[in-house]
Amino acid sequence: MYILEQLINGVCQGVIYALMAIGYSLIAGVTGLVTFTYGEVVMVGAFTSYYCFSLLGVSIIPAMLFGFVAAGILGIVIHKVCYERFLDSPKYISLICTIGMSMLIRNLAQIVFGTETKGMPKIFGNGFIELGLIRISYLQILILGVVIVLSLTLTFFFVKTKSGMALRSVSQDRKAAAFVGVNVRSTTLIGNSIGCGLGGIAGVLLALYYSNVSPIMGGTIGLKAFSSAVLGGLDNVAGAAGGGLLIGVCENLGIMFMSTGLRDVIAFTFLIIVLLVKPQGLFGRKGVIKL
Amino acid sequence: MRSKIANQAKKLIDKNKLYILIASIIILGMLPVIIREDYTRSIMIKILLYVMLASSLNIINGYTGQFNIGHAGLYAIGSYTAGILVTTFGWSFWILLPVSGMVTAIFGFLISIPTRKLAGIYLALVTLGFSEIIRLICLNWTELTGGPMGIKNIPRPIFFGATIKEPIQFYYIILVLAIVTILLMYRAIHSRIGRAWISIREDQTASRFLGVNINRLKSTNFAFGAFFAGVAGCFSAYYYQFISSDMFTLDEGFNILAMVIIGGQGTLIGPIIGSVIVNMITEVFRFVSEYRLITYAVLIIIMMWVRPQGLAGASDSVFATKRRKRSRRARLHRRRLTE
Repeated sequence: MYILEQLINGVCQGVIYALMAIGYSLIAGVTGLVTFTYGEVVMVGAFTSYYCFSLLGVSIIPAMLFGFVAAGILGIVIHKVCYERFLDSPKYISLICTIGMSMLIRNLAQIVFGTETKGMPKIFGNGFIELGLIRISYLQILILGVVIVLSLTLTFFFVKTKSGMALRSVSQDRKAAAFVGVNVRSTTLIGNSIGCGLGGIAGVLLALYYSNVSPIMGGTIGLKAFSSAVLGGLDNVAGAAGGGLLIGVCENLGIMFMSTGLRDVIAFTFLIIVLLVKPQGLFGRKGVIKL
Repeated sequence: MRSKIANQAKKLIDKNKLYILIASIIILGMLPVIIREDYTRSIMIKILLYVMLASSLNIINGYTGQFNIGHAGLYAIGSYTAGILVTTFGWSFWILLPVSGMVTAIFGFLISIPTRKLAGIYLALVTLGFSEIIRLICLNWTELTGGPMGIKNIPRPIFFGATIKEPIQFYYIILVLAIVTILLMYRAIHSRIGRAWISIREDQTASRFLGVNINRLKSTNFAFGAFFAGVAGCFSAYYYQFISSDMFTLDEGFNILAMVIIGGQGTLIGPIIGSVIVNMITEVFRFVSEYRLITYAVLIIIMMWVRPQGLAGASDSVFATKRRKRSRRARLHRRRLTE
């Protein structure tokens, strides 16, 4: 039964990674560039929720809303600094720019929020449901529910609404999208801030799940999001979500056989192997994205 | 457009390159005699150590245009090789310098084999993951690496019976190492292999057409760069007498990357300038150490906005987005042809 419980933990962590990977692949799609700032965006989302809970005392839905907005605004700033000038330049320039930006945000956060790890206030008790021999906590159900609702909303947004279709067209082919009258500049900006906003919500969920926040959490988290997105295929939002889920499950099953300190090693080894065998990702199409 | 004075200064420097080089080496050799505080000497040692590390990264990033951002991993391998071999087998410092270099070079070669086909960002991701994996293994393999405690009590190196323990002695060792490193790099870059590396950076497809064996040269390049990172790692293990896994975080890798980017990619002088600037910033902002990394970050972003090839980077390479317009000679030649 231990395996089943680990599996559930893995799925739960995996859906958070999946949410981040969706946001990540959205950004990578519309800008055609990758970012190293994503972990910091997630961190800002987590801190927003921390201050919402501890200072404002609001409930979870407004906290997630605040997280979304704060991360989205940060996304606009990142867009102005790191992408806008460099959309047509060699890729590595904006990449280095995002590395600089992530150092900047992380260290500013250490000054503004303080360097110590902060414990989240308890919002949910330790309640759980017993299903036969396994336990699922309320928190896990909440996380699963939030991610499922969000993915359904996103699917609707991408498939049915006009701006969603504009986003998809821009990520498929910028020039062709411009020819048929899509405002590429503003669509890129919108896509970027939505992607960052999703990262913010993922940050809120992560903060609840680990029940602490710290300004340096962004480093590993950003790499996880990146790995998940690349694993599933950077051009494929659904694939990226699958990649996130896979990494979450692998990590939690892997630590049954190894020490918990090696948890991140599992994720990265897995990622490197996939990259070497199938560089376009597990679910990506060949030769679509050239980064 | 360059002004006339700058052009003439450049010509003057080009003409007297050798004398300037000899003069600066003499000045560097004299410096610790003039400066007597041990603290200042330790900063100079640090600058030279990072000159080696940044130059070795510049060989990989600046000359073949591969994108390695996990240089701290290679540095860690060099340090741990030296630390483990000296504490368990008691090997001497002078043997360990080339040995840790070779071990690191082998690791560099091994990473480069599967990543030859990956370009740009995917290569960056693999090197980043590699660096993090190395750090986590060092942190968790307690029997071999001491785990979170690190390796302590690394003995002092012995030079003809005399124990080296003063900063001034370490200064001369690292000075010689750095000069030898730069000389070897100079020789490599101005050889056939070096020209082939640059051709790969400028246009991979074209150089393949010209018969350059891209796969082999990329691996050689990675191993060559890794070698010097390993030597630097060995030196730092002896110098600090202590290594632990939190000396080799991703931030350390970004730190080295920042030196290469700020100083300039694709020239030998670039990483040297970068190391001096970044270490100076570290010292200037020492009393407000949290603003130090912010300064790097802002510098990196400004550098990308204004001058992507770095302060002293190669202006006639792919790194510069705005290449210099045709040179004066080419313009004259063209005019002659049209008339």
